[in-house]
Amino acid sequence: MNFFNVIRWLAWKDLLSEMRSRENISSMFFFAFIVILIFSFSFSMDQKTAQELMPGIMWVAFIFTGIIGLGKSFTAELQNDCLENLQMNPIPRGAIYLGKLVSNLLFMLVVEVILFPLFVIFFNLDIFEKIPLIMLILIAGTLGVSAVGTLFSAMTVQIRAREVMLPILLLPLIVPVIIGAVEATGGVLQGESVLLYRPWIELLIIFDVIFTIVSFWVFEFILDY
Amino acid sequence: MPAIQGIQLSKSYRHYQVLRNVSFEVAPGECYALFGPNGAGKTTLLKVLATLQKPSSGRFEMMGYDGIQDRNQVRGVLMMIAHGSYLYSELDAVENLRFAAGLRSLSPTAREIKLALDRVGIGAFADFKIRYFSEGMKKRLSIAKAILIRPKVLLMDEPYSSLDERGIAMMNHFIRESLEQGAAVLMTSHNRVQSAEVAGKAGVLHQGVLREIAVKDLVAPHELF
Amino acid sequence: MIRWIRRFEGWFGTAGAVCITIGLYFGLVASPPDSYQGEVVRIMYVHVPFASTSMTAYAVLTVASLWYLWKRDSLVDNLAHATAGIGVFFTSGALFTGSVWGKPTWNTWWTWDARLVSFTILLLILIGYLMLRTFIEDKEREARYAAILAIVGAVDLPIVHFSVEWWRTLHQPLSISQRGIAIAGVMLYPLIFMSVGFYLLFTYMVGVRTQMLYLKQLLEAKKGRLLGEVRL
Repeated sequence: MNFFNVIRWLAWKDLLSEMRSRENISSMFFFAFIVILIFSFSFSMDQKTAQELMPGIMWVAFIFTGIIGLGKSFTAELQNDCLENLQMNPIPRGAIYLGKLVSNLLFMLVVEVILFPLFVIFFNLDIFEKIPLIMLILIAGTLGVSAVGTLFSAMTVQIRAREVMLPILLLPLIVPVIIGAVEATGGVLQGESVLLYRPWIELLIIFDVIFTIVSFWVFEFILDY
Repeated sequence: MPAIQGIQLSKSYRHYQVLRNVSFEVAPGECYALFGPNGAGKTTLLKVLATLQKPSSGRFEMMGYDGIQDRNQVRGVLMMIAHGSYLYSELDAVENLRFAAGLRSLSPTAREIKLALDRVGIGAFADFKIRYFSEGMKKRLSIAKAILIRPKVLLMDEPYSSLDERGIAMMNHFIRESLEQGAAVLMTSHNRVQSAEVAGKAGVLHQGVLREIAVKDLVAPHELF
Repeated sequence: MIRWIRRFEGWFGTAGAVCITIGLYFGLVASPPDSYQGEVVRIMYVHVPFASTSMTAYAVLTVASLWYLWKRDSLVDNLAHATAGIGVFFTSGALFTGSVWGKPTWNTWWTWDARLVSFTILLLILIGYLMLRTFIEDKEREARYAAILAIVGAVDLPIVHFSVEWWRTLHQPLSISQRGIAIAGVMLYPLIFMSVGFYLLFTYMVGVRTQMLYLKQLLEAKKGRLLGEVRL
């Protein structure tokens, strides 16, 4: 089916380009690292407070890093007018959205997976047996940010002040993801009962489903009049 | 049935009217050379025909498909060669061609790709990343792309720019070959002598108005506008 | 449609002013102060209408955006644009009066309850909407993208409200019920007058602003035609 082929081609193209230049992932990684350092310097915390605040710090770092990656995803298409080319091809716009979503999601997840062990070390966390759940939360939260972020990245890439418009538009909308991800991560890490953090994970998943579908539908109108 | 037919196309941006009731016809196997001063609206006309912009009024047809209602079918028959090369910097020539063909559900063999690259004179650079290509080489690669895709309608925005003498001859050779195979070509140019060799029709777009001229006027000593 | 707006806007404006005057009289002078909150409760007569009008503004914005994407009528787009701008006014009013009400009542200018946060997000979306429209040059794309933003925001706001409410019950289970004042019958009348008055005022303001935007577009088109004819 042409639809899935397009998604594959787009994801292949982005992943191959990134593997060769490593430009996005390295800048995202270092940015996240610096954000974490700054947080550590800004708040003098004892061990216990640090552990309580850690999910918040982590997700703030991930989200801001994600915004950088999302921005770069479509600005890369502006080079040589490639975005215009995608628009001129007889491919379904939804497929372009999903193709970009896949690569954005993967890049963000790679950075998060590399950084998470650093968090474990810095904050002295006990993650024994909790890793599958943490992975689930990372994926669900990142998907939420990417689903809406891919849409808005495509929207803002073609306008003035694009670097600042993406976070201005995106951040208010992903408040539920921030709340859900931080609460779920905190609940799992503090060893709370599953009943307490499961609703947050469910919230994340519902958000992901709703917004992937909505963004997919609405993408028609971004790259086409 | 004409391959491209413009019917009273008008386009205005905010308060600036770029195209005024532009009408023209290009038959299959015919090349229309469009001239005009800088900023006259030639690129805008191409963008409208390439379904990138919606005309403010009027319509057009391509291979019988309505340019606005049947946009996706129109995109399936046309290909644009313009200033932006639509190439990805981190991919090499072969990969870019594979990607472009893949988006159109085509899978050219390695041999076909090599042949296309040789024909446009960049066979030796097949494995070089586009980052290292000059503008002229990128232009040649676009022709290779057109050779693989064989679009029925070719829209070309200043095809001779960036090409050396041999490149221009190669471009005309390619255009002649496409015309023989029944494609229609609409090109904008500033190069009267070279376009006169392939043009079957010519026109001047001045202050938004299209005026058809005889092809022999292209090589006459007087100014067009 | 523009002619209907012209004909009736005056009525809306006057009716709105009248209702608000009556409401203010009843609210500030003729109705009793609340047993717990004293005179301060009178802010409710302004705050509640601000809040309900603000939500109506966003609802209108969403419907207009959907309609625009379907029919591509530029007047509907002007309506959406106008509603967003007026919506900023009413949402800011709701947040401001809410804050002013909060200070003497619960000794805090701000609290992270679901309603306040949702209204803040609503305000941020509206401001983002207006900024987006300013930064896009192609007017067709501007209308399209703005509509998309409004629609995505509309889907998002209920989720925001829901998740903040959850979050708050989790962290502050003993939250004070903030709007749980019993509304005595005599308080209801000024409230109704004020709410109706605000809606009428809102309709008037949106009508005027829509006309402004529509005329501006007409002017630009005309300018284009004239300039084109007088080209050098």
